[in-house]
Amino acid sequence: MADKVFMQGNEAFAEAAIRSGCKFFFGYPITPSSEIPEYYAKKAPAEGLTFIQAETEVSAFNMVAGVAATGKRGMTATAGPGFSLGCEAMSYMSAASLPAVIVDCMRPGPADGEILGSQGDYNQLTKGGGHGDYNTIVLAPYSVQEYADFAPLAFDLAEKYRNPVVIASDGTIAKMMENVVLPERVEPKGRADWAVDGMNGRGHHNDITTCGDGPEQWERFNLDLQAKFAKIRENEQRWEEIDTADADIIIVAFGTMARVCLDAIRLARKDGLKVGMIRPITIWPFPEKAFANYIGKGKKFFVTELNAGQMVNDVKIAVNDNASVEFYGRLGGMIPSPVEIYNKLCELYK
Amino acid sequence: MKSELIFSGIGGQGTILMGKMACTAASKKGYNVTLSPAYGQEKRGGRASCQVVISEEIGSMIISEADTILVMDEKSLIDYEGKVKPGGTLIINSSMIDKKADRTDIKVVEIPFTEIATKVATAKSANMVALGAVVKTLDIITLDDAREVIKMKMKPALVDANIKALEAGYDYVK
Repeated sequence: MADKVFMQGNEAFAEAAIRSGCKFFFGYPITPSSEIPEYYAKKAPAEGLTFIQAETEVSAFNMVAGVAATGKRGMTATAGPGFSLGCEAMSYMSAASLPAVIVDCMRPGPADGEILGSQGDYNQLTKGGGHGDYNTIVLAPYSVQEYADFAPLAFDLAEKYRNPVVIASDGTIAKMMENVVLPERVEPKGRADWAVDGMNGRGHHNDITTCGDGPEQWERFNLDLQAKFAKIRENEQRWEEIDTADADIIIVAFGTMARVCLDAIRLARKDGLKVGMIRPITIWPFPEKAFANYIGKGKKFFVTELNAGQMVNDVKIAVNDNASVEFYGRLGGMIPSPVEIYNKLCELYK
Repeated sequence: MKSELIFSGIGGQGTILMGKMACTAASKKGYNVTLSPAYGQEKRGGRASCQVVISEEIGSMIISEADTILVMDEKSLIDYEGKVKPGGTLIINSSMIDKKADRTDIKVVEIPFTEIATKVATAKSANMVALGAVVKTLDIITLDDAREVIKMKMKPALVDANIKALEAGYDYVK
């Protein structure tokens, strides 16, 4: 196994993306994502990579769409305000079945907000953000190791389903430094089936299109997309369960908040409180399968997020009125300590 | 074994560098380390702080109460005195802070980092005096571990002076 290195989250992700064969980066710097383009740009000359600092995120996201159409691995990284600008391209990439990887280092909004950690973009990332009926797979890392591991996974999933994949990072995961084992280098795959690169021995030209001719065709086009999303929903729900088997209270938390809750669970267990956690790893598709074993059994769910209550709605849908769901959130870049969460758990126990 | 530390000061004082060096030392010994930095947009003059967790298991990067807290400026003292675990240590940079700590349930160590650094090396090594003082309060990292990190991370010409500063800080804490 490769050695562990002590590395910042964003830099570990950038290195892992390069090792995953991501040869193109387009972006516009914005805190707290800027170390990703910075690292990539530094490595670009020696590694033969293409790095372009676009004039806006609108261009950067469309450049990513362009490179995806050629069958090559490309990405961008941004924060909430930049992701909002890229949403038109997100909708187009999903509709056009273009595989790409996009990192959103969430910061507290709305508007420019602060530059610290937050989970305020949950709805935007998981419910579309752009226009129309589309979805993107969203992976939410909770450690530098997972952040790095998600680079190859995100490219593989993007190509498997030919759909954009988003990494839901945040100001805390992005800037945090931890030990990490970086993924092995993979060689770029051969010519992609969908690449718009002329016939060159193929019997046909590839078209990248988002157009149907008339509502009948347009509906069929949409139904095909929906069939793809249904397949993703069926196959790609990912989550981790911690001490859930005997738990009276099951915490639901992702990313930074899941880390805080690990310590809160240890405090609670030490005091004999039976607390566990479901940690969504994909926040789209939301891991509703995880809840099936626990509903209707008198367990309480406690959702905690760094926002005003966004994922909590997906938890309510997953338990479908068969369990009580409580919520606690902090805003503006504030992150609760493990003791603060533990105190909330004690209140719930009463 | 688990150590939770907070380093807080003003940008330019090397606060986050100290945290990184403590992490590097612990990481070399096989511990999980997490450094969570917080700094403003200013290059110099704004708050620069980091929370460091050294542990055998993965856990929260946000600390409820720390075993040792180092404060390099007065604002940091005001903000972080309350976060020291009862029985823990608060290390105060008395070169820059006149205010006294209020708590009596913790060990308070006042050290004139700049004056000590100037005596054994130069004022620039004040943060290594501070690191030495922090290391003294820890079981996980020894003075030798910290010396090794200085040798690994610093230019050869700076190693001797910074090790002297580190040792001076270490020896100052009784």
